Amino acid sequence: MNFDLTEEQKLIQETARAFAQTELEPVAARLDQTGDREIFLGNLKKLAELGFMGLNIREEYGGAQAGMIAFSLALTEIARACASTAVTVSVSNLVCEVIQSVGTEAQKRAYIPKICSGENAAGSFALTEAGAGSDPAAMTTTATLDGDAWVLNGSKRFISSAPYAGVFVAWAVTDKTAPKGKGISCFLVEAESEGLVIGKAEEKMGQHASATNEILFNDCRIPKDALLGQINGGLRVAVGELTGGRVGIGSLALGIGLAAMDYATRYAQERIQFGQKIANFQAIQWMIADSYTELEAARLLLMQAAFRRDQGQSFVREAAMAKLFATEAANRACYTALQMMGGYGYSRDFPLERYARDVRVTSIYEGTSEIQRLIIAREILKNVNHE
Amino acid sequence: MKILVCIKQVPDMESRFKVNADGVWYDERDLAFRMNEYDEYAVEQAVRIKEQLGGAADITILSIGPARVVEAIKKGMAMGGDRGVHVKDDSLAQRDPWQLASTIAAFARSKNFDLIFTGMQSQDRGSTQVGAILAELLGYACATTLIGFELNGDVVTARRELEGGVKAIVRFRLPAVVTCQLGLNTPRYPTLPNIMKVRQKELLAFPVADFLTEESLTITEKMYLPEKKGRARVLEGDVSQLADQLLAILKEKTTVLR
Repeated sequence: MNFDLTEEQKLIQETARAFAQTELEPVAARLDQTGDREIFLGNLKKLAELGFMGLNIREEYGGAQAGMIAFSLALTEIARACASTAVTVSVSNLVCEVIQSVGTEAQKRAYIPKICSGENAAGSFALTEAGAGSDPAAMTTTATLDGDAWVLNGSKRFISSAPYAGVFVAWAVTDKTAPKGKGISCFLVEAESEGLVIGKAEEKMGQHASATNEILFNDCRIPKDALLGQINGGLRVAVGELTGGRVGIGSLALGIGLAAMDYATRYAQERIQFGQKIANFQAIQWMIADSYTELEAARLLLMQAAFRRDQGQSFVREAAMAKLFATEAANRACYTALQMMGGYGYSRDFPLERYARDVRVTSIYEGTSEIQRLIIAREILKNVNHE
Repeated sequence: MKILVCIKQVPDMESRFKVNADGVWYDERDLAFRMNEYDEYAVEQAVRIKEQLGGAADITILSIGPARVVEAIKKGMAMGGDRGVHVKDDSLAQRDPWQLASTIAAFARSKNFDLIFTGMQSQDRGSTQVGAILAELLGYACATTLIGFELNGDVVTARRELEGGVKAIVRFRLPAVVTCQLGLNTPRYPTLPNIMKVRQKELLAFPVADFLTEESLTITEKMYLPEKKGRARVLEGDVSQLADQLLAILKEKTTVLR
């Protein structure tokens, strides 16, 4: 048993922390309020140049090949400063990993280096539809083969980075007659594809700088070789790759929770009420103790899931547990931190209300807490003998 | 061009320090360590020289200390150093500047380095002596507290920062030892691929006994936190009252407005 990070992991954490404090933290509030895309995309470019868009990607495709523990550490540090930036980094990594996992050599060489280098600002993951969220197999977007092209029709909802993504990994039904979930395929859709329309931007509660849009496929023609992975085998790809994404989102949530508690705890050491620091009061001390205990437990669950992945072991159950616990613990931590700061927590002059808005979606996107519980229960029950 | 960069690993300066049980150094337990800030300027300047020379330079990153200092050496290598040298010494905290400089000189003497960079001081000991003593021991030119550095052929033109905001420009020939000050450059972040590729670079390790034969010339007798004296004063009132009070205090208690 060894809880120490390697020297490389420590250096990646230090680099992420230094970059986040210097480049992201000073603009995070402005990005939240104005969504200033120039600054946002500029920071993404710098992160790509440092290697943060391909943490688990092999060197030959422009990645850092640093492993999932490093991925988790980096996302936590980035999210401490700016959750919008962190989610974009997480999803772009996920897109690279999907392509690396099931793409052809030509597809890997065509798309992964562009995301890793920052030539593409981001990659986008187009799975969710208005009627297919937790139940992606219910999707209605279709892809039909027409000569040497696939023709996509339908729409996707809540698609991160849609206005500036270079490529979309998109899912569509390719066999309507197949049993549910068995007729879905995955495609690589370039942003400039004819018939791909970036639709309405969602007006969200938080993570404002990260764009979330509807996208429409109106007779969108893409080459026949844009099929990613096996025909009709797309849903398994989506479900499988989201496992890594869960570690990313859990790590991101942890970063927001830590940022909130660190801020509120410093405040509690300075704020005087009833003639003394409010940190002297047991009510505040318990908030601090409970929140940091939960965040530490979240960190350990995340590290365990990431470690298993890096060791080549199955980590489906561990990733779901980590995502469930970390995102909910971070939500509680942000609620607590805001409460500790009283009226100042509710004021836009302080970052607590931003943390509280930014953290809320983490227990919703990339698999709700309820879906995580289904996965965890399924993974446990399948190993329990029954008559 | 052969370049040596001497770095130290120091605690994160935002740590809370306690004096150790011996009373002569800080307690290192539970501290997070990182590369000495001034040494980051030194590494960055070395890498820039290598870039200026189109890669025709070889950079060695050296650090003395316990196993933990390898992390700082690796950071220097990830920033652009070609190899690392770890001089293993579990008693770093007891070494004085004379011993440290002597150790580095013993390593460097036969290696014909053209340029040796180091920070102008360490953030923990802060003696500012190691670079200058090293230059003396090697018979090299020396310039300290640099905020500008230009190399043409084998001639360096450097800008130094002196007390009271005064600057000086000095010119000297290689070989030389220079110590780097805040403002010399902005150190790059090591990229993640470069961090991961450090494993492919050479990292040599030597026991300190291979190089250290000198006794210390200065001994730290006591390290202590200064007694707290005086209290912070919180000014109250509206903005104009606050400004008046602040102005009065600055006039009365400081020389800022005189």
